[in-house]
Amino acid sequence: MKIQSFYNAFLGIATEILYAIAIMLAAFLVCVAGYFFLKL
Amino acid sequence: MILKPQLQDLKNIGYYSGKILIGIGLAMLVPMVVGLLFAEINPALDFLIGAEIALIVGLILTKLCFTEKDLNWMQGMVVVSLSWLAAMFVGAIPSYLSGHWGSYLDACFEAMSGFATTGLTLVQDLDHLSYAHNLWRHFASFVGGQGIVVIALCFFVKGVSGAFKMYVGEGRDERVLPNVIDSSRFIWLVSIVYLIVSTLVLGTIGIANGMRPANAFFHGACIFMAAFDTAGFAPQSQNILYYHSVLFEVITMVIMILGAMNFNLHYRIWTGDRREIWKNIESRALFIIVVVTFLITLVGLNQIGSYPRVLVMFRKGFYQVISAHTTTGYVTIYARQFIDDWGALALAGIICAMAFGSSSCSTSGGIKMLRLSIIVKALQQDLKRIILPERAVVEQKIHHLKELFLEDKQVRASLLITVAYLALYAIGALVGMFYGYPFLDSLFESVSAAANVGLSCGITAPGMPAGLKITYIVQMWAGRLEFMSVFALIGFFIAAIKGK
Repeated sequence: MKIQSFYNAFLGIATEILYAIAIMLAAFLVCVAGYFFLKL
Repeated sequence: MILKPQLQDLKNIGYYSGKILIGIGLAMLVPMVVGLLFAEINPALDFLIGAEIALIVGLILTKLCFTEKDLNWMQGMVVVSLSWLAAMFVGAIPSYLSGHWGSYLDACFEAMSGFATTGLTLVQDLDHLSYAHNLWRHFASFVGGQGIVVIALCFFVKGVSGAFKMYVGEGRDERVLPNVIDSSRFIWLVSIVYLIVSTLVLGTIGIANGMRPANAFFHGACIFMAAFDTAGFAPQSQNILYYHSVLFEVITMVIMILGAMNFNLHYRIWTGDRREIWKNIESRALFIIVVVTFLITLVGLNQIGSYPRVLVMFRKGFYQVISAHTTTGYVTIYARQFIDDWGALALAGIICAMAFGSSSCSTSGGIKMLRLSIIVKALQQDLKRIILPERAVVEQKIHHLKELFLEDKQVRASLLITVAYLALYAIGALVGMFYGYPFLDSLFESVSAAANVGLSCGITAPGMPAGLKITYIVQMWAGRLEFMSVFALIGFFIAAIKGK
């Protein structure tokens, strides 16, 4: 296995968590937009 | 002309199946030790008996069928499908002995649901299940999600020849690293790192919410194992609702998404190529399709008037969508609410999410984003061929870990597996309707079983007809192994009967 440094792995984990948060944030914005457009 | 299997075929299959059974037997020692630590003597004995049976059968097979010959493709695929069935039969023994499952068939259903990371459950009185048995349900998901064969490759297989054939037979056709044994060890490394981090985080949240420390970390470990391996088992019958915590729900959503990512993608990101997460066609497709299916579900829920507030819609609506997409099966609502409170359009959104699934070479099920992306790109390519001048050369590229030109054989392979999944969904739905369940309920449950999701609309219960239990067991098994090794096993038996 060629994990070159702990630093890369740590940043990699952070990147993956950010990706997950981005999906959740997009969904939350869809919720908010949905309430504006569907309720009015 | 079909050739009858020879003695060497049987020896190879028996030898490697025996090794995998030995692995399952050793895995059962983990809940046995936990049972002893929590002074649960009877559950510990249940696992001792189960482990002994698995180890004895495994050792007999490896001794009787000892061979140094390499596996061919047929043997490798048959080893995988057969050992998954064997794992189900031995994995069910401790559960059946516990008395929390109504019959050995129910225990087999639970074992297959665990190993196949589905999460549909037939347990009775889950809230009073011992720590040992509860851990086994989640640990079986952890083991099954990584791959029973992957574990064997890590610990019991010395050479790489033949190992790749078993690796592929378990529904993984991409190597993370050139050496398949190193690939297996990397998959475990990712899982263990996230296990430690997530158990600490979830355990801390549990303690902050008033749980005892031992209980909080036990729940944290179990929830992580089922979330990362996109299984969906929970230590309590109310599933994630039990915790009544927004933070818990957010953390589990993050873990589900992490588990649904391609392990090759994990490797690339962990080794410095962080841009791959946005360049990769699967992660882009997952992002877009999750938003689209959630939009469909949101419109459907809004029509019914369920969840009138933004945060409630996020916790009750989106949580189920992401659980369906990642094929985890965690819920923050009760099972019957899918039918009673969601309406047809929202249910259609969830069924689509379950059917599509998530990334290939991950712990999730379903058709997979890579196959859907390949099919869409192939459609684009064909449309371009029609629209552009006849002499134009139309090449379609996709980025999946590297730039690839789309070839007909990739499109054919993706279409074949997609059609197989759709056929499996339909067959399960027809069987459900045969037993008297309504169409939408039957389709929901069938897709949930075949795509290894675990969401239930109420059909999966101890009182379910035996024929339907067997149907869902077969669906979970075939869906997890992505058909090829199952077809190889069927072909093997046909060859044994009709071969010359």
